[in-house]
Amino acid sequence: MTNHWIDFKNSDCILVMGSNAAENHPICWKWVTRAQEKGGMVIHVDPRYTRTSSKSDLYVPLRSGSDIGVLGGMIKYILDNDLIQKEYVLSYTNASFLVSKDFDFKDGLFSGFDQAARKYDKKSWAFEMDENGVPKRDMTLQDPRCVYQLLKKHYDRYDIKKVSAISGSPEDKLLAFYKAYSATGKPDKAGTILYAMGWTQHTVGVQNIRAMSIIQLLLGNMGVAGGGVNALRGESNVQGSTDQALLFHIIPGYLPTPRASLATYEDYIKSISPVSKDPKSLNWKKNQPKYMASLCKSLYKDIEPAKAYEWMPKLDDGQNASWLVLFDKMHKGQFKGFFAWGMNPAASGADSNKTRQALANLDWMVNVNIFENETGSFWKGPGMDPKQIKTEVFFLPCAVSVEKEGSISNSGRWMQWRYPGPAPMGESKPDGDIIYELALKIRELYEKEKGAFPEPVLGLNVGDWGDGHVFDPHKVAKLINGYYLKDTVVKAADGTETTMKAGTQLASFVFLKDDGSTCSGNWIYSGSYTAKGNMAARRDKTQTPEQEKIGLFPNWTWSWPVNRRIIYNRAAVDMNGKPWAPNKPVLAWDAANKKWLIDIVDGGGDAGTIYPFIMQQHGLGALYGPGLNDGPFPEYYEPLECPVTEHPFSKQLNNPTALQFADEAYKRTVCDPRFPFVCTTYRVTEHWQTGVLTRWLPWLTEAQPQMFCEMSEELAELKGIKNGDKVILENLRGKLWAIAIVTKRFKPFEVMGNPVHVVGIPWHFGWVWPKDGGDAANLLTPAVGDPNTGIPETKAFMVNVKKA
Amino acid sequence: MSGKSFFVDLTKCTACRGCQVACKQWNKLPAEETRNHGSHQNPMDVSAITYKTVHMKEVADDKGFMAAWLFFPEQCRHCTEPPCKMTADAYDDKAIIHDEATGAVIFTEKTKDLPEFDEIREACPYNIPRQDAATKVMTKCTMCLDRVQNGLKPACVQSCPTGAMNFGDREEMLALAEKRLAEVQKKYPEATLGDADMVRVIYLYQMPPKSYHDFAVASATLPGLMNRKAMFAKLFGPASRNKA
Amino acid sequence: MKLGRREFVKLTAAATAVTAFGGLGFDLAPTKAHAQLMSLRKGKETTSVCCYCSVGCGLIVTTDEATKRAINIEGDPDHPINEGALCAKGAATFQLAENPKRVTKVQYRAPNSDKWEEKSWEWALEEIAKRVKSVRDASFTGSNAKGQVVNRTEAIASCGSAAMDNEECWIYQAFLRSLGLTYIEHQARI
Repeated sequence: MTNHWIDFKNSDCILVMGSNAAENHPICWKWVTRAQEKGGMVIHVDPRYTRTSSKSDLYVPLRSGSDIGVLGGMIKYILDNDLIQKEYVLSYTNASFLVSKDFDFKDGLFSGFDQAARKYDKKSWAFEMDENGVPKRDMTLQDPRCVYQLLKKHYDRYDIKKVSAISGSPEDKLLAFYKAYSATGKPDKAGTILYAMGWTQHTVGVQNIRAMSIIQLLLGNMGVAGGGVNALRGESNVQGSTDQALLFHIIPGYLPTPRASLATYEDYIKSISPVSKDPKSLNWKKNQPKYMASLCKSLYKDIEPAKAYEWMPKLDDGQNASWLVLFDKMHKGQFKGFFAWGMNPAASGADSNKTRQALANLDWMVNVNIFENETGSFWKGPGMDPKQIKTEVFFLPCAVSVEKEGSISNSGRWMQWRYPGPAPMGESKPDGDIIYELALKIRELYEKEKGAFPEPVLGLNVGDWGDGHVFDPHKVAKLINGYYLKDTVVKAADGTETTMKAGTQLASFVFLKDDGSTCSGNWIYSGSYTAKGNMAARRDKTQTPEQEKIGLFPNWTWSWPVNRRIIYNRAAVDMNGKPWAPNKPVLAWDAANKKWLIDIVDGGGDAGTIYPFIMQQHGLGALYGPGLNDGPFPEYYEPLECPVTEHPFSKQLNNPTALQFADEAYKRTVCDPRFPFVCTTYRVTEHWQTGVLTRWLPWLTEAQPQMFCEMSEELAELKGIKNGDKVILENLRGKLWAIAIVTKRFKPFEVMGNPVHVVGIPWHFGWVWPKDGGDAANLLTPAVGDPNTGIPETKAFMVNVKKA
Repeated sequence: MSGKSFFVDLTKCTACRGCQVACKQWNKLPAEETRNHGSHQNPMDVSAITYKTVHMKEVADDKGFMAAWLFFPEQCRHCTEPPCKMTADAYDDKAIIHDEATGAVIFTEKTKDLPEFDEIREACPYNIPRQDAATKVMTKCTMCLDRVQNGLKPACVQSCPTGAMNFGDREEMLALAEKRLAEVQKKYPEATLGDADMVRVIYLYQMPPKSYHDFAVASATLPGLMNRKAMFAKLFGPASRNKA
Repeated sequence: MKLGRREFVKLTAAATAVTAFGGLGFDLAPTKAHAQLMSLRKGKETTSVCCYCSVGCGLIVTTDEATKRAINIEGDPDHPINEGALCAKGAATFQLAENPKRVTKVQYRAPNSDKWEEKSWEWALEEIAKRVKSVRDASFTGSNAKGQVVNRTEAIASCGSAAMDNEECWIYQAFLRSLGLTYIEHQARI
């Protein structure tokens, strides 16, 4: 989230699309309601009328998977009617940049596509540079090769008739939606988007979000109070676990994972040091070498960063080790050992039958959890014969959240400290203790027996993890924040010098060094545990009147980066430092004292001296994004499994770069009469994820006891299904039963003149418990993914539904 | 009449069911064994171990599209003149008590000795009282009297995110109800407050109360159950029983 | 120090403890809630943050100091995001902690076995450590096919976890990467 939960109250128009916020983030509705009470409008766009729709001012149905059509239609509406926030678009986005003469787009494909490799060569997408290496711009926005004109041309095809025909959204509803939302293009109005997995779990997931980001930039909604692009994350610490890089492609602080061709530390450092020749572009990522050096020192305190880099594991160039690939390799027998730590992939991964079979190809698995689950117990699951399964399973019981101490980061980037209440039940232990003890055991073995390349195992800085026996979250939090490794003289702005003793906590990442004299486990968390103490534990609600007006709470816990509550906030003011929205300013420039007030400013420096989007190389918001794998502009493609053979925007039916496994194409169907219905998956308020932490709670299974399938009255009639009947859903990947909820909240869609039925199932159930609760929705979902993230397309696929 | 009251602004209820679970949590009530009946609602009704449940009703427009999804967190209304108590008093005036300070209507353990549970249940215009099959004790919402007497809000009210559930001094709640009614009527001309003068749980409905739940308001006349008027006639009429 | 609402409530509760039900002169039914309040006064209060979605709602956990078990878990009225509110899941947190179905001892399933066996931590950690080492040692790749230094093992993979604290996540990734794992994934990818 660029903004934070309380900030929703500042919005003039809240778009909930790709999310069911009232059901899945129920307490955020407090702040949505506050916005409504002040006259703000709430719009819900979703295949199904939900509890969110019931509290929205406008509900727009759309067929699952057609979002880019609907959003592309809005981009066209905004441009056709000239509703953009002009000064913002000119000054703060790349609208005026000129794109290479070689860039082209034809019939659904961008230039540079390699049909055989299903990949783009992105060279032709680049910006045109002047002799100083600064992108060429046309501030009149008239040049046909400027981003603005290319954008206009690209979305000219997205007229409302085509959009309505493919999405099944009624034209009048689309128009009402476009009109209301684009009204936030006025400088003092703010519109915000609340999205979640409804956007990411598609083979066009990233481009769904890109399309909305374009809209937010055109309307000047980034950086302002009540605006932003807000991913409502699904788990209490999925923000933090991502920040700490429990993903193949990054190491802590969003630094890229080392690759084989970057043989030396210098090679790596060069690859993470972007250059901008534009003096107004702060190009923040040029600081990354300091963050990398400090990360290396936090991992391996006693050696130089270059040596630590050498020890680090490296991916081959272009190698994808993401979830779907991991399970594909496991299915093919690549892995001997597997940790399923606080996860239940047998229910949470796409194509559960494949995942469950894959687990049987392991020698051993470690499953850490609070309750028995479909992963740890896969060997006794449906269709499994334990006698035939060799996989050894170690189930390690862990403590629940209220029994342990440490911090988690919410979707609004608030790092909040938790204290232990009850003691860990029975012999269960906090995850931290288990990891620490296991790391020490393995270390002992290497000390005793040596083995393959023991250096990184023996050299790891476990001294900062605990007292030698018990894990210490404070010590680790201090390490993540970072401290001086050598006595260092620090010069303040007024010239005074202070010597910081080795071991002193760093005040922020500004003090990190690239020479190995500082350590920090994660630069974006630097400032969270300083010499002043644990910032994440703060409970001070003091605010200035301006802060109170927008609900900033800067002294309550801590927000990354540097306690900034709204990121890209420099875009909330014009180049003179004057707020676009004087009624709800995020920043105010005190010219007399040369000081920014209210929030912590993005980038620093005087008003008007730098561009606002400091994490971008050129400092400006990307209407045109040449870095993604599937194109610089979002383009309409159908899901890989879809109910149509063509769509009105091009001859390219699906995303040509989608992640897929060639040997599994036989499991997918398009317009196959055996599987005529679109199926989508979602969550309910009363359960969470695969249900491991909710299915065992009697109060929650009381409220939502069983797997269900929601369908329209029309489809139920067609299939002879009555409300409450048991039904079977199936496709070539799997089969499951559910209780039919026949409802007016689902309606058939008219798509290109034909009726298309969409059904929906929650994904919280599993065969382990409750006994008659049903099994995982992922038995039906395809193992295909977004070309940028690899996130599976579990929001739109084809099934058959029949009475059991 | 003072004491406490709830104001439940149904236009703000999202059916997150925090109240339903918070009630069980505070009262440490066990869960029921439920099945999905083709609805998101569960439990389908209040019971001896469920003092609060959120009813969900889909309302369509004339073309068959959703006009509203109505949510109704049901609980004892804590009547200002509770007919359950009047009925019980005929046998034992300590079986059901009416707390003077708050107005809470409380079923005590002595309800187990009342001769006819059905008589108490039928006396209630809102069909709230339930009986524990084993102990014969009658149960329902307690207004979290223990919390209220200690300066806390009832568990369900504290749990509510959107401001649908409110609790406070009766005058304050009535004023809030009237204020919200006036605002809501601009969007929903049919909006009403249910039985505001007779109960301490005042619901604001955006649609006619009957579209939420059969027993939403006391005016409901249902086969087999007496309406409120008839009940009062029974209580105070010549046929009224003497105290046991 | 300025008292928050939460502390204020606690003081009120203590002050009125004697009179809470004294005035009525008889037992109330159900009596469980009454017991709840009584035990709360003896309990220790700690703050936590809800473990379910990412809104980050504040919790107040009351723990019986004798049994070290939770007595009550409800929303923290002082928390600026939830202001005391909780949804169905958050309100049920008590049952997450105090749940007889929790696994509280290490379990082991031997190859081709049809049952779990109870084991000690010491045994399990030893055995896991041995397996990690032997797979790592056997599969460790210093250089790839092109002769580039990669220092990795592709025979062990990990999934998890967004359910852990930041500090746990950080040491977990450090631990895995020190072993040379590259197949490191978790909930954020699905």
